[in-house]
Amino acid sequence: MTEKVLFIIFGVLAVAGGIGTITRRNVVHALLLLVFTFLNVAAIFALTQAYFLAVVQILVYAGAIMVLFFFVIMLLNLRTFREEEQTHRRQRWVALGLSVLVLAEFIVVLAGITLTSVRGGLTPEAMAEAGGGTKVFGEALFNNMLLPFEVASVVLLVAMVGAIILVKREKTAGGTTRGWDPGEQPTPEAIEEEV
Amino acid sequence: MIEPPVEMPIPVDWYLYLSAALFIVGVAGMLTRRNLFIMLFSLELMLNAVNINLVGFSRFHENLVGQNLVIFVMAIAAAEAAVGLAIATALYRNRKTLMVDLFDRMKG
Repeated sequence: MTEKVLFIIFGVLAVAGGIGTITRRNVVHALLLLVFTFLNVAAIFALTQAYFLAVVQILVYAGAIMVLFFFVIMLLNLRTFREEEQTHRRQRWVALGLSVLVLAEFIVVLAGITLTSVRGGLTPEAMAEAGGGTKVFGEALFNNMLLPFEVASVVLLVAMVGAIILVKREKTAGGTTRGWDPGEQPTPEAIEEEV
Repeated sequence: MIEPPVEMPIPVDWYLYLSAALFIVGVAGMLTRRNLFIMLFSLELMLNAVNINLVGFSRFHENLVGQNLVIFVMAIAAAEAAVGLAIATALYRNRKTLMVDLFDRMKG
């Protein structure tokens, strides 16, 4: 019973944080609300007794990835384009309506099905007996999922190299790179030059 | 003697509803906003909705494949964040804006 109440509280807070994230005009506020959502999701992981994932969610997601976002936002000094919106004002309402429609579809479909399971027997109690959830988790990860794990490390390496190459400032013959103002269409000569 | 299966304290449906709600919030953010950063945040929201689903089903089926997959989703999310932010930096450097509607040079 306690779990159910906590689940509802954390779930509602997570969704509220998500809605806040997509409605804020200020990017930093949106990011803080996103971190709030992630913390609530971590709490839901903990309620499911996936304690290791709850910790990883906080350390890696709310910690590392979000700090990366913060760094870039601060680096770009995003306060300057607060005047966001918008060329497609009508698209917003259509998109909102469609999203609500899809959510209604989800709910209708989920309400109509009953899920059955061939239980694998790895309940939290069984895991505690086998030496703790993290130990069982690690054994499963490094036995059944070893190849995907190694592939993931290669993916991360590629992403790292790609990020460095993308951000590296390219030197043109003239010395500085030319930028465009928002909304300005570059002249054909300028495009030619760039190519 | 076979013990009767222990019921989950939280029904698996609840995870599905929560995950659907978070996912749709992400989709709505992706479709309605035109700020590149907010769109990246929406992407993260959707990935988190998937994670909730995986963890809930992992508990439901009492096996750890779902929880292992969450680690991979997080790794991919980290890679995506790094590359996405690099692209955002490069775009901002060239165009001095991050409103995706203004990046229309490819349309010709």
